Amino acid sequence: MIREFAFIDLLYLISAIRWTLLLSLAAFAGGSLIGLIVAVLRVSSVAPLRWLAAGYVQIVQGTPLLCILFVFFFGLSIIGLPVHAWIAATFAFSIYAGAFLGEIWRGALQSIPKTQWEAGGALGLSYTEQLRYVIVPQAVRVSIPPTVGFLVQLIKNTSLAATIGFIELTREGQLTTASTFQPFAVYCTVAVLYFLLCFPLTQLSRVLERKYNVAG
Amino acid sequence: MSLVEIRNVTKRYGALTVLDDVSLDVEQGEIISIIGRSGSGKSTLLRCINGLEQIQGGSITVDGVRLGDPSTDLRKLRQQVGIVFQSYNLFPHLSVARNITLAPTVVKKTSDAEARKIAQDVLRRVGLEEKIDAFPQQLSGGQQQRVAIARSLAMHPKMMLFDEITSALDPELTGEVLKVIEDMARSGMTMALVTHEMAFARRIGTRVIFMHKGKIWEQGPAGEVLTNPKTNELATFLNAVLH
Repeated sequence: MIREFAFIDLLYLISAIRWTLLLSLAAFAGGSLIGLIVAVLRVSSVAPLRWLAAGYVQIVQGTPLLCILFVFFFGLSIIGLPVHAWIAATFAFSIYAGAFLGEIWRGALQSIPKTQWEAGGALGLSYTEQLRYVIVPQAVRVSIPPTVGFLVQLIKNTSLAATIGFIELTREGQLTTASTFQPFAVYCTVAVLYFLLCFPLTQLSRVLERKYNVAG
Repeated sequence: MSLVEIRNVTKRYGALTVLDDVSLDVEQGEIISIIGRSGSGKSTLLRCINGLEQIQGGSITVDGVRLGDPSTDLRKLRQQVGIVFQSYNLFPHLSVARNITLAPTVVKKTSDAEARKIAQDVLRRVGLEEKIDAFPQQLSGGQQQRVAIARSLAMHPKMMLFDEITSALDPELTGEVLKVIEDMARSGMTMALVTHEMAFARRIGTRVIFMHKGKIWEQGPAGEVLTNPKTNELATFLNAVLH
């Protein structure tokens, strides 16, 4: 039945934001875990570990996110594993986020001068102690602005999960369009809602960047 | 037995030989000034002593412990031998106090309270006790370098290495740093320093080593080596730096 795009639809769209946010958070958590491992392996002194991490990053960054999502959603069910849209989406987005966060954090680790490692080593700190007390605390400051920037990308990209029937903001928009037949109004609303989510984060990213650049 | 025994050490970066069959003994309480052109291998020699550079031949023994042995605990060695760098290399995210207490608390498991006392003590020795809660970027270059010295002293090393520690400083700031080193010299600390300050090397050094092309080209008591060079290379070098 076709009806008007009404206030109630707006409320439905707004309430769908929580799934977008929840998926973004899950992906960010999973991606952080993978990213942390990737970053540390990328600066490891053991070459095969570096290659492994670099290979992972190359493969993920050279593959469309939509493809990764489909591989998990359709691929796993072919080999007999029942895959829920939630699980498929969380895995796919975590893997995607892990590669990008890993690269951001590797860059941050490598931006800390070699002399800081030396100073730590010369005082008798072990490799992990150097990382923990000297390198990582400094790298975190460097990496916060680009990490927040990536979070914005991640939130926007969760809209791809609509393609596997995962109900989040975009999928809710599709459903609303189907019943109101007013795609322009609906998708404009959806776009505004995404913007309202992301705008504060991009601003925050800029503020942090300025702050840490000044503080050095 | 000497505190440091360097025997026939060779160090290469690819095809480039930086240290060529270098042998040197450092006795307890000696103050060795290493001079030479840039690229002569003097900094590399210093850095080999606490294992920051790997060597391709020969052996280095510090306080009876041989470096490069798989059984050698490099961390133990580095607690015996402190090094101060040209660019200070303080930890910019940590306060002066934490810069100093980090290694004692983490490596030696000293309690926080005791480490703080050590920090106060070493800062007094470098004349900066009032800066204990400052951050590195709030300090001048000379002050940062003195904190770096204090940080090394906090580990109570048997020997200190100084790698061109005044080279990055404005001329008016070198004095305060050199004074700290002179105080340490008086307290009997064994030291090796790479320096361009010839007058200083002569004043405090018990021995001067002139390095050239990766070899110890000439060495002897400070006054003698610097006033009566035996080789042409040293004479040319001294001529260039003194005039």
